[in-house]
Amino acid sequence: MSGPSPVAVTGVGCLCAAGANLAACMESLFKERRHPAPPSRFETEHAIRYPVFEVSEGFFPPELPEDGQLLRTSRLALAATLEALHDADWNPEDLKGLRVGVCIGTTVGSAMNSEEFYRDYRSGKRPEMTPIERFLRSNPAASVARYFGLSGPVQTVVNACSSGTDALGLAASWVRNGLCDVALAGGADELTRVTYNGFASLMIADAEPVRPFDLSRRGLNLGEGAGMLVLESEKIQQVRKAKIRSHLLGYGSACDAYHLTAPSPDGSGLIRALDEAMQSSGCRSEDIAFVNAHGTGTPDNDRVESTVLGKVLPRTPFLSTKGFTGHTLGAAGALEAAFTIACLEAGRIPASAGFSKPDPVFPIHPVTREVAIEGRAALSQSLAFGGNNAVVIFGKEGPQ
Amino acid sequence: MAIKEKLKKILVEELNLEDMTAEEIEDSTPLFGEGLGLDSLDAVELVVLIQKHFGIEIQDMEEGREAFESVETLAGFIDERLKG
Amino acid sequence: MTRLSIRGVGVVGGFGCGLEAFDRALVSGVASTMQVTPVPGNESVLRSAFLADTAPLEEFLNKRALRRIDHFSRLALLGSHLALQDAGMLGAIPERVGLVIASGYGALRTTFSFLDSIIEDGDSCASPTHFSNSVHNAAAAHVAIKLNIGGPNLTVSQFEMSVSSALLTAQLWLEEGRVDHVVFGGVDEYSAVLGYCWERFLGSESTEEMAPFDLARQTALVGEGSAFFVLSREETASPYGAIDRVSLGHLSGGLPILPKDPVYILGADGHRQCSAKYPELVPQGASVASYAPLYGSLPVGQAFDLAAAALAMRDGRLCATPGHVAEETDWQIVGTEELGQRDICCLKMDDNGGYGFLTVTKGRG
Repeated sequence: MSGPSPVAVTGVGCLCAAGANLAACMESLFKERRHPAPPSRFETEHAIRYPVFEVSEGFFPPELPEDGQLLRTSRLALAATLEALHDADWNPEDLKGLRVGVCIGTTVGSAMNSEEFYRDYRSGKRPEMTPIERFLRSNPAASVARYFGLSGPVQTVVNACSSGTDALGLAASWVRNGLCDVALAGGADELTRVTYNGFASLMIADAEPVRPFDLSRRGLNLGEGAGMLVLESEKIQQVRKAKIRSHLLGYGSACDAYHLTAPSPDGSGLIRALDEAMQSSGCRSEDIAFVNAHGTGTPDNDRVESTVLGKVLPRTPFLSTKGFTGHTLGAAGALEAAFTIACLEAGRIPASAGFSKPDPVFPIHPVTREVAIEGRAALSQSLAFGGNNAVVIFGKEGPQ
Repeated sequence: MAIKEKLKKILVEELNLEDMTAEEIEDSTPLFGEGLGLDSLDAVELVVLIQKHFGIEIQDMEEGREAFESVETLAGFIDERLKG
Repeated sequence: MTRLSIRGVGVVGGFGCGLEAFDRALVSGVASTMQVTPVPGNESVLRSAFLADTAPLEEFLNKRALRRIDHFSRLALLGSHLALQDAGMLGAIPERVGLVIASGYGALRTTFSFLDSIIEDGDSCASPTHFSNSVHNAAAAHVAIKLNIGGPNLTVSQFEMSVSSALLTAQLWLEEGRVDHVVFGGVDEYSAVLGYCWERFLGSESTEEMAPFDLARQTALVGEGSAFFVLSREETASPYGAIDRVSLGHLSGGLPILPKDPVYILGADGHRQCSAKYPELVPQGASVASYAPLYGSLPVGQAFDLAAAALAMRDGRLCATPGHVAEETDWQIVGTEELGQRDICCLKMDDNGGYGFLTVTKGRG
């Protein structure tokens, strides 16, 4: 494998229940504000009203009104992209003359899953095709490319809950290998009745606000949102001299090849993904200031992560930010990449929300208060259905 | 149909144990690991099947853990809940 | 960029299972369709569809191993096992293997089976098994588990561009040395709801025979299946040739540089809105073929186009475009002929101006 080859991040954008943009999210995180509540946009028959983290309608920018033409997932992706482009000081019009790629992770955004349409279909009505047309128009990466009139490669990554992290790592590879000048990359997912029922059926939805890594953890709370980064080639940076917020230093991914829904108990796939990310980034473990763990709050996920981090990075502080955002599925890795970059810039990480009682079988535990951090880089990891594991490392370029 | 027989039928038909018949399942055969070889995903599917066929809700896997040992323990659990 | 040597091919579709069945269809030009009833409650509306049978999977996996695996994942399992068997790697899968799967729609039948469980029995009886299998990467998970592929694992869903887009990533993984081999495949399935959607969108223009070069006519018939490949860095020449270049983009960014005088296997599959785009890219007088009339129209049809290209390389000859061929066209429609020294370019276009192509050349080394 060739040596480290960092890719510049020049813009960051995100929205989720914690805030309408990155600055607002970081304020919520550091002020330890979180507001999980039962879903407001749909009803269910469950005896328990599982709390979720919804994005309020007011968080969408005025240029993206609800129009029925696009799935909410695509609107979320567009909102985060607008912020990221603004942050990178790009006028979207100027992108049209360049080769700009779009790589976005999702789960809901790729599923032909209109419940209303299907109920009508089943009951023998001949439902109108509007929801299907909306689905066909709303492939997240394609809809972002179309909105901005972009002509580079387009990829929607559907690796379940690691999709956002994978999309970032893959897009960095496009930029490094000259497939595009600029890549808009991240993840987006909306909250739906389908995923809500799905996670409830798997009995991994917590009836209380989510408690990642806590002894009393009972599962996840779902959330929704999007995170997008602007990645730029060296060629474009030289022409434009934009400020560089961070670098994507390394990426690794591997599959447990173990079980459809349960992570491998020994975390073998996660360990391979971490090894590859560390190697490709050229970082040593002391370079890693902190780890943004997947930390969904499910018994299995958190056990595997603590076990693996206890082996691989035993002295590195870590946290889960899902106590602030809920589990945003395909968006999670991208949102957390945005937070990771912002925390590196701030030189501190917030308390891992929802954690208070350590689980005695865990070798290491997340931070319980705001902590100042040291090190040039930070790592964010995602674990997914199907045994996928993905890791990205952000930070300053190191000695080459 | 007795609870045990109904359970065995559900196991074979709804968890698609295509390589065995309901009659081949012993009352005491462990459902998970060695035995029938069910796993964690079957366990949550079984929770749904018990609700669907017997109207019994299991809210928490901890609650079901002991009941899910074998057809015998599960039938006992269902019987108790139906009476309760 | 690293050339992707095609070491093995595995296909299942309306033509049957395996390369021999596919080759027979290509040589004979005979399509085998079945009848579906896309209008719920109306058995009198019949349409032809290319449906795939996954029964041969039992040669590789027993019933027990398949008990919770749906049709979509079975298609992927069958394709991947056949490709690895063809490459001589089944049972001896090397380390450092990645898995990349492309799918336009994912596991449609199970997506709706999950909704069935909610609608029939209520929210609290939603089936966790259906939910887990409805996630788009379920097939990639099952393939990784059954074949013990622990390397990077990716599923891409980009409608018609799924195959080109996913292949781009497979190529980068080999280029960057992340893996030594990639098991790559495209898979899509038919479902009753998809049939209904087709009927609503296209029913009035229904047809019995696909005619991909009647660009102005709607002649698409729905298909399903999977086409898998074992792709490796090219160390020795493979008879199937190698993928030299993968490119995708949008016509709004200008015309891409196409390979010089190749034979084009076009992804034109009877969808008028997509078909209309091909003349914008493919030069007049170019040699073109379309084999979609043998496997139908499905988002990952380009994976089957690639399998046809690999067979053409292996045998040094092209098969004639099956079915009805338009008389008036600006292109040379390929008949049964020698391939000669020509490369093959598999080109797919969507209705919006997106394009994706890959070039297959003779193996080297």
